[in-house]
Parts: sequence; structure tokens; C-alpha cells
Amino acid sequence: MLKGTIAAAALAAALGLGAQAEAADPVRIGFSIAQTGLFSQAAPSQMTAYEMWRDEVNAAGGLDVAGERRVIEFVWYDDESNPTKAAQIYEKLISDDKVDLLLAPWGTPTHLAIAGVVEQHQFPVVGNTAASVAVRDVAPGNIWFPTSAIPDRIGPELAKLAKSAGVTSVAVIANVLPFSQENLQFLIPALEAEGIAVKVNESYPPDIADMTTLLTQIKDAGVDGVIALSYPADSFLYMGQAKEIGIAAPFQFLLVGPTISAFADAFGAGADGIVTLGHWSPYQAAWPKAKPFYDAYVAKFSMRPDYLDTALAYMSCEILQQAVAVAGLDKAKLRETIAGTTFDTINGPVKFEGVQNAVTPTAFLQLQGGEMHLVWPAEIATSAFKAR
Amino acid sequence: MDVLLSGQLAFSVAVLGAVYAVVGLGLNLVYGTMRLLNVGHGELVMLGAYVAFWGFTLAGLSPLLGAPVAALLAALLGLALYGGLFRRMLEADGAGGRLEANSLLVFLGLSVVLQNASALAFTASPRAIRHLDEVIRVGGVAMTENRLAILLVAVAACAGTILLLRLGIHGLAIKALIDNRRAARIVGVDVDRTQRLSIALGFGLAGLAGALLAMIEQISPFMGFPYTVAAFVVIVLGGLGRLAGGVAAGFVLAAVQVYGVALTAPTYASVLLYGVFVAVLVLRPQGMAGARARP
Repeated sequence: MLKGTIAAAALAAALGLGAQAEAADPVRIGFSIAQTGLFSQAAPSQMTAYEMWRDEVNAAGGLDVAGERRVIEFVWYDDESNPTKAAQIYEKLISDDKVDLLLAPWGTPTHLAIAGVVEQHQFPVVGNTAASVAVRDVAPGNIWFPTSAIPDRIGPELAKLAKSAGVTSVAVIANVLPFSQENLQFLIPALEAEGIAVKVNESYPPDIADMTTLLTQIKDAGVDGVIALSYPADSFLYMGQAKEIGIAAPFQFLLVGPTISAFADAFGAGADGIVTLGHWSPYQAAWPKAKPFYDAYVAKFSMRPDYLDTALAYMSCEILQQAVAVAGLDKAKLRETIAGTTFDTINGPVKFEGVQNAVTPTAFLQLQGGEMHLVWPAEIATSAFKAR
Repeated sequence: MDVLLSGQLAFSVAVLGAVYAVVGLGLNLVYGTMRLLNVGHGELVMLGAYVAFWGFTLAGLSPLLGAPVAALLAALLGLALYGGLFRRMLEADGAGGRLEANSLLVFLGLSVVLQNASALAFTASPRAIRHLDEVIRVGGVAMTENRLAILLVAVAACAGTILLLRLGIHGLAIKALIDNRRAARIVGVDVDRTQRLSIALGFGLAGLAGALLAMIEQISPFMGFPYTVAAFVVIVLGGLGRLAGGVAAGFVLAAVQVYGVALTAPTYASVLLYGVFVAVLVLRPQGMAGARARP
């Protein structure tokens, strides 16, 4: 905790927020971040979105709090990728630090862990990087989830996309970690319902060091689709070894990994045609904020945003910002505004029903010429699916 | 089961085994000569990967050329730690024999510091480079150039190190230290100089491995831990301080992982690996290549 506080103080000092705080009465926004531990590789995709949003809002004169402009000041701690610790941090943020607003931590288990705390304190928070059917079990009213990437919707939609791409048989390989397995559970029946033959169905451990056997099995099966319900490390392993083994299926899907900036750096044109999970692309002209966000992000951080996590994290900030402009800092008004308003985000309009985003459809991205395009569903697609 | 006889699996075992061997050899040198339990060994691999990444990104330096640079920098880090910390610890270690436990704590701390310092310096965002990623066919076996390069360089590094120890006078001194520290000192081995050489070689090999892995893995401050685990499995399988045995164990570990999966299912990979590990500990606690303790 001390480490996080010192780091937060150092960050604030580095950004010169101390000086700004003296000039204006700041709005203090609290959150925990997985700076260390299991999720720490994923956390920067969220933190950069928060930092960019804060800097943009402050540069424009501060956060509009029901008509009054106030500078944003972050109060954050390292939750060490530990959901229990994150819950303690949110308790502290609300009770001790008495922050004005909250942003979300990273990951499904951490969101679920803080849901009880915000419910107890009746303190509304807009979530972002949580995707599980379990989010629907959370009591509605104080936490909302803007993602549309929920496994029971991903499975049927992915099967429909595969069918529309002319896939008749698939090999499915899945990491044994929870998000992959939850997807697997809904995917297999959906594929069968679409008449797509599942010729390989294997799970593998997260520390898999070599995929030669699995990939040889897939190649021998002669399928025209490969669906790897993978995490980033095994997505990298798959890409390298699938090329070596000569997997030439025209439809290849990787669950988590292709949206991170390093993926395109590692595989370049070799990754063209890979399909992945995501509902945001900078190339959707109907979302006028999308491309400027992408350009500003690349200019600021010299890397591409994570098309899934960074976009979601930034959306959650936009939703909070627009709600606070109307409701101010009053928690009851804020709750009512978040629950009842249609927000204008980089991902287009967002409106919640219960805890879920009811507008954004479950969607898929494809790398095409180095650009991430939405290829499914048709109503938000920025390009047609192209066989690999 | 044709796959079992395919050269493709053999190539995968060779690449993975060579990586395990070179990482394990580095750890074994440091443990063998000084009884220092370097649980931060994987972090040296991580630092090597970042050296290759920045060399490639900023200067267009091939990771194959970045590898000796990474090895040199890691060796210098080892020498600095030795001069500033471990020499005193080694000299102070009397009959109490707390060195292993103390070194474990020191390296654990070092590991956390290196991870978090790297996260602060480079951010925790994964990085990657694209280099030598064309596939060539050799005798019907498809090989990605970067994996072939890893195999060749790692095998050369292992062979070079083992030969140095077999043939050179410094190597003999290291071997003497591994076999019996006190006896080595009595017969006039320059223990301090030998330990310097050993830690420089051990750390250098880890840095080298990291630079090679940068071509095929995502690079992040937390990428090292699996290599620490693999290195410990390798040196326990091969026999603590048994350098050639450790190298062989690297390939055994890779074969268990690759062929084990081919014979069973991918989900059994860890069960097989640690099953073999426990079996060796029970049946041959001195390691596969280790000599039985004389009564």
C-alpha cells in the first residue's frame, strides 16, 4: 500500500499536479491498478487510457462538475493483482481518502471483488475490463459494465461469423484459464448449432512452452477454421509455431492478444487476417471520436492502444465525465444519470440496462493490412471479412 | 502416432531444450561454485531480452548481435553484485551454513527490484520484435529462422562453456570449486577470481538466453519467472553443480514436455513434468548425472 502511495505521489509530482491542485479545488478520483503481479502486463493498457483522459480534461480547463470546471487529481494504489486487496483499497479510497469519484480496477475478478464495497457505500463506479457471465449476478445500481464481450454472446456470434466466412469444420484449442474455458463452454454448442464440425477440441495449460503436437494435430485434421481461445502469451506462441507448421486455414481466431500493440510488432504482415475479440475500431466513421482518440494515443505513447482494454477504459472515463457534467458529485444523482442516459463515446452510443451495455453489439476484429477492422456484425463493420 | 517420429517434434525438443540448457547452465554455475540460490535468474533473462529489444528498436541491431552485448551487461551486473555483496557474504559464511538461505532471500529481493525497476523504466506493456521470421525447410522439417538461430547459438554457448571448463585452467578452477570449495582453496585455487569468472559466466549466459528469446516471445518485466522455475528443475534433474548433467537435463525436460504431450494430452504437460521431477528427487536425489554420495 505504501509503495502505491509513494508511487502515486511521485507520479503526481512528476506531472506537476501538486502545483495545479493549489490553484484549483481538484476533483479527486480514486482507483487501484495492477501495477505488480499476475495482471500487471495488462494494466498499462488501462492506466494509459486514464492518464490520457485526465491530461486531456485538465488541458481543457478541468472536469465539468455540473457547470464548474475542476482539475482532476488521481489517488491510486497498487492492488498487486489481488482482488481482495483491491476491495480493501476501494474501501480506503471511499472511507479514508474520501475521493470524489472512482474509476475501475483491471480484470473480471477485481471488478467482482469491489462490487460489494461500492454497493455497501452506494458509490457508483463505471467498470471497464470485466467480461464474464458472472457480471450479470452483480446487484445493479452502483456498477456498470460497458463491454459487449461476454462469453455467452461471443460463442454464438463467433459461430455465425465462422459460418458466414464459409467455415465448415474447425479445430478449437483453449487455455485452461477461466475466460477461455467460459468461452469454450458456449462456443462448442454454438458451432454445432451452425452445422460446423468440431474436429479438434483440446485444452492446454497456461504455461505451455511448445505447441508442435497440437498444431500438427490441427494441420492433420484438415480444418478450414482454427479457433484458439488463447491468452496473450499463447497467442504469441501460436502465431510463431502455426507459421512454422504451415497452418493455412482461411479462418483463424485468437481470443486475447492480437489487440495489443506488441502483437503487430512481432508478426507484422504475417498476422494479416487473424480475427480476434473486440468491439472498437478507429476506422468506424459513425463514431467520430474514435479516430482522433487513436491518433492522440499513438502520438502520446508511441504505441497503438489495446483495441479492447484501452478503448473500454477510455469509454468508462467518458461515461463518468458526461454523467458528472449533468449530475455533479452527488452520488444518488450520478447513479440515476449513469443508469438512464445514452452516452456518446469513442465506441459510439452506450446505454445501460441493468449492469450491461445494451447498445454495443458483440463484435470481432480482423487485422487487415496492419489495421484492426471490425468485421462482425454488419451494422458496425468497417470492412468485410477477408480469408487469410 | 506418426508425429512421434517426425523431425518436427525433434526440432521443437532441440530448440526448447537448448534454451533450458543455457538458462540452467548459468544458474548451475552460480550455485555450483558459490552455493548461491539465484531465484532472480529469470530476471536476468528478462534484462537480456530488453537489451535485445532496445538494441533492435533504437539501433536496428540484430538480437543475434545484441546477445553478446546482453551477455556482457549481465556479466557486469553479476560482477558488481559479487563485489558489492556476495564476496562479503561468502567470506562471512562460516560453519553456520546459512549462505544458501541468505542468498535465496537476497535474490528474491533482487528479483522483485529488477521486475519493478524494469516496469517503471520500460512500462509493463508487452513488447516484441520481428526478426528472422521466415520459415526454411531442412530435410522435410520446417524451421523458423529465429528458432534455428536460437538452437545454434544456445548449443554453441553451452558447448563453449563446458569446453572452457574441461580444457582451460580457469575451467579447472571452477570445477575444483564445484567439487570441493575448501579443498580447492587449500590446493591454491584463487577462489575470489574463480568466483568472479563463475558469476560473470552464469549471469552472462542468462542475459544471452534472454536476448535470443526476444525474437520469439513477448518481452515484459515479468517474463522471467517461468525460466527461473525451468532452470531450477533442470539443475535438480541434472544434479546441482553438475554442469554437463544440467545441460542434458535441459533436453530431457523439453522432451518430457513435447513428447509427453504428444503421447497424452496438452493438459498433462505439467503433471508429467513435475511427475518426472519428483520421481528423480525420490529415486536419484543427487540428480540424473550426479554421483552418489560416498559413505
